[in-house]
Amino acid sequence: MLRSSLVRFARVGATRAPLKAPLTVSAKVPLSFPLKVPILYSYHRMYSSAPALTREIITERILELLEDYDNIKLPEKISVNANFKKDLGLDSLDQVEIIMEIENEFSIIIPDDKADEINTVKDAIDLIEAQPDAV
Amino acid sequence: MARLSGLQKEVIALYRECIRSAYKKPKENRNHWVNYVHSEFAKYRKLPKKEFATVEHLLRVGHRRFEMYSSDTIRDVH
Amino acid sequence: MYKSQLVSILSKPSFQNCFKRGLATSHPVPTQPKLKTFKIYRWNPDTPDVKPKMQEYQIDLNKCGPMVLDAILKIKNEQDATLTFRRSCREGICGSCAMNIGGRNTLACLCKIDQDTTKETKLYPLPHMFVVRDLVPDLTHFYQQYKSIQPYLQRDSVPEDGKENLQSIEDRKKLDGLYECILCACCSTSCPSYWWNQQQYLGPAVLMQAYRWLIDSRDQASAVRKEMLQNSMSLYRCHTIMNCSRTCPKGLNPGRAIAEIKKQLAFE
Repeated sequence: MLRSSLVRFARVGATRAPLKAPLTVSAKVPLSFPLKVPILYSYHRMYSSAPALTREIITERILELLEDYDNIKLPEKISVNANFKKDLGLDSLDQVEIIMEIENEFSIIIPDDKADEINTVKDAIDLIEAQPDAV
Repeated sequence: MARLSGLQKEVIALYRECIRSAYKKPKENRNHWVNYVHSEFAKYRKLPKKEFATVEHLLRVGHRRFEMYSSDTIRDVH
Repeated sequence: MYKSQLVSILSKPSFQNCFKRGLATSHPVPTQPKLKTFKIYRWNPDTPDVKPKMQEYQIDLNKCGPMVLDAILKIKNEQDATLTFRRSCREGICGSCAMNIGGRNTLACLCKIDQDTTKETKLYPLPHMFVVRDLVPDLTHFYQQYKSIQPYLQRDSVPEDGKENLQSIEDRKKLDGLYECILCACCSTSCPSYWWNQQQYLGPAVLMQAYRWLIDSRDQASAVRKEMLQNSMSLYRCHTIMNCSRTCPKGLNPGRAIAEIKKQLAFE
C-alpha cells in the first residue's frame, strides 16, 4: 500500500514537473518494486501524454494491492482468476473495501452498479482496462 | 456469487459511502474512521438477511448517522 | 332555645350529608378495585433484532385520573419506568402526546379512559410513522414538510407606521379554525394517502397551514405559495377521504382547508 501510494505520488509529481521527475522517482521508489516500467513512464510522461496502462501493469498493481490487504485469510490463493468470496474468503463488505482501494490506486470512481458486478480479480482487471481515465 | 437482494445492495451502498467519506477526513484520523465504520457494521454482521424490518431500521439509523458524521466540521471519532 | 336551634341545624339533611362525607374521606370504605387493562406497543431501538410486542398493564381506575395520559403516567411511575412516550402540557395545547388510542389518533391528554373494564384499551404510536421507541414516532419528515411551505409572513413592504401589519376584523376571522392547529400530526397520520405517499404528499396538517398562509390578508407571497402546490403530488393526493377532519383532537377541519386550496387553484 505504502509502496503503491509512493509511486502514485511520484507519478503525479512527474506530470507536474517533468524535468525533475526521474530524480525524485528513483529516489522514492523502493528497490523491490519492478522498477523498469513506472520509471520509464515517469521519464517519458509529459503534460499531455498519458501512459498506456497495459493489462500486465494493471494485474501487477491489483495483485500487489491484494497482498497488502489484511483481511485475506488465504494469501497464497491470490491469483488473476481468484473469486473474492469463494477463493479469498472475503465477504461483500470486504469486497467493497478492496474495490475502494482499487479506485484509489487507479484514481477513478467506479459507479455502484458496476462495483456490484466485480466478483473476481479478473473482473476488476477488465474493468480498469476499459477505463480510459485510469492512471 | 449469489445475487444480492435490493436491501443487501442498499447496505453495501451505505457501507461504500461510509468508507468513501472516511477517506475525506483528515489523514491522521482516517484509521479511526475506518475502524469505527468497521465496528458499527460488525455489530449486526450476524443478523439474518430475512429480518427486513430490522435491517431497514438499521439502514435508516445508519443513513442518519452518516449524514451527521460526514460534515466537514467533524474531524475525528473515537 | 340555643339547644333547640342546634338540634334543628344538626337534623337538617344538608348538614348530615356534609358530616357523612367528611367521615367517608377520613375512613375510606374499601371499594372494589376497578381494574382496567391497557395493552401498549413496546419496541426498543437498542435491541433492534427483538420484534415489537404488546405489553399488558392493569390499572385501578379508582386510583387514576380520568384521561389516558393519567393512566400511562401512572404506569410509568408505578409499574414500568421504561415505558416511553412524549408528553408536556397535559391539556391539549402542545400536541406532544399524540398517539393511536383504541384505533383512533388523538391526544392522550384529551382522551377519556373508556370506563368499561371488560374491554382492554390498546395504545399504539401514530400509524405508518417510523418509531423512535415505544409510543414515540419519528416526526422529522413531517416537520421538514411543514418547513417546506414557508410557514411565516412574507411581505415586500414594511407597514407605513413602521410597527404593525394591520388586518381588518373580517380578514382576521378567516384564520379562525386554521391557526388553532398544534401540529400534533394526528390528521396526517390517519390519512391513507399520506401513508402511501408520505415522501411527496404534504398531508392534511401541513396543507391546512399552507392554506392559512395563503388566505392571510397580510401575506404577499400567495402566488409563490400556489406555484409550489401546483403539481400532482403535493396537494392533489388528497382524495377527500376526510379521516383528517374526523380524527382531529382539536375539532378542526383540514379536509375543508384542502378543498379550499383546490378551489383557489382551479380558478387560477
